Amino acid sequence: MTTPADIESMIGRIALGDKAAFAALYSATSAKLFGVALRVLNNRAEAEDAMQEVFVKVWRNAARYQINGLSPMTWLVTITRNHCIDRLRARKAATGDMDEAADIADATPGPEALAIAASERGRIADCMAQLAPDRADAVRRAYLEGETYEELAQRYAVPLNTIRTWLRRGLLTLRECLSS
Amino acid sequence: MNDLDETEEFKALAAEYALGLLSPAETAAFEDALSGDPDLRDLYALWAEDFAALTAGIDPVEPPKRVWQNIETTLFPANPATARTSFLQRLGIIPASLVGLAAAVAVLAFVDFGGLVNTPFRPAYQAQVAAADQSLIVLAGYDPAQGTLRVERSAGGARDGRVLELWVIAGDNPPVSLGVLPDAAQTDITIAPDLYAALEGGTLAISDEPPGGSPTGAPTGDVLAVGPLTLL
Repeated sequence: MTTPADIESMIGRIALGDKAAFAALYSATSAKLFGVALRVLNNRAEAEDAMQEVFVKVWRNAARYQINGLSPMTWLVTITRNHCIDRLRARKAATGDMDEAADIADATPGPEALAIAASERGRIADCMAQLAPDRADAVRRAYLEGETYEELAQRYAVPLNTIRTWLRRGLLTLRECLSS
Repeated sequence: MNDLDETEEFKALAAEYALGLLSPAETAAFEDALSGDPDLRDLYALWAEDFAALTAGIDPVEPPKRVWQNIETTLFPANPATARTSFLQRLGIIPASLVGLAAAVAVLAFVDFGGLVNTPFRPAYQAQVAAADQSLIVLAGYDPAQGTLRVERSAGGARDGRVLELWVIAGDNPPVSLGVLPDAAQTDITIAPDLYAALEGGTLAISDEPPGGSPTGAPTGDVLAVGPLTLL
């Protein structure tokens, strides 16, 4: 079992150019990160490309890991998630995706969102469960699907000029629960 | 949001930043604040940890072997001549039968002009910056390890009494000049460290400018050619 301390030490050695540590990090974390990439992108070929780009970034940015204060797995998940969201948004911008438009019309949490909710664990799961369902769903959609304020406003039929206040209230309630 | 006190405002901003909900301008402002404010970094770190926990239930999936192979080829090319060859091949300008010759020429060029350079050029990003009618075609390769952009003009040139200026555009940011292209067909441009991120995945553009380049710091003439830098 690879511990967070192991992963941290691998990242430290990668910052010094240690290729063996890089290979070890890949074998310890790539399955988890590929799972995340598949979940966000929902497209195998794109997820493979994203994984390559993510690990190239990890190799080049390992020296910057220490200063951001994140735990090592969070750092890796965040790089992967952010990279995939960038790709997803570029894809949406390029295609003006019809599926996406159809999806937005459906404001109720679909079976997929409910399945994700059911698979959440620990403190975040408890606190998400205490939020109003549409706000918890909006937080998930923003994090895992990269939905923007515009998309969320359409989805929940909340005017664009109030969606931000609407979600921020949810986020602050969530913070209060997470920090208690 | 004027209904939040300052602490709540920062908590909400940090969450929105972690979710990627801020506009480019707000993101830039938040990142500026982040670099000088340890408390804000802690707030962000809390959110990043908690949101990352939303992925706890996502099942791991073993990526296919080719993913690792491609990462290795990108970062650690077995030998520079191969890397150079594959670069030229992927640009699609050299038929496979000429690749050997091109590699030989590349090695010769390296010996002739590269006497002072002891690290081989290994591009990880490439771009074809071309006019819609192909009247101007510039190929570029970017080596992030050295921060070097190699630019090769393969068709066209500056208009009479004018110069070509190269720009990089990252996301929604305004173009940043990489300098005026010399008359020589090939040139290496050393990239300032603060532009490294812009080059990785940014877009290159060439504009028509007066001698000496744009006087304003932004393109003033026609934008003649555009092409994205993509990972090799």
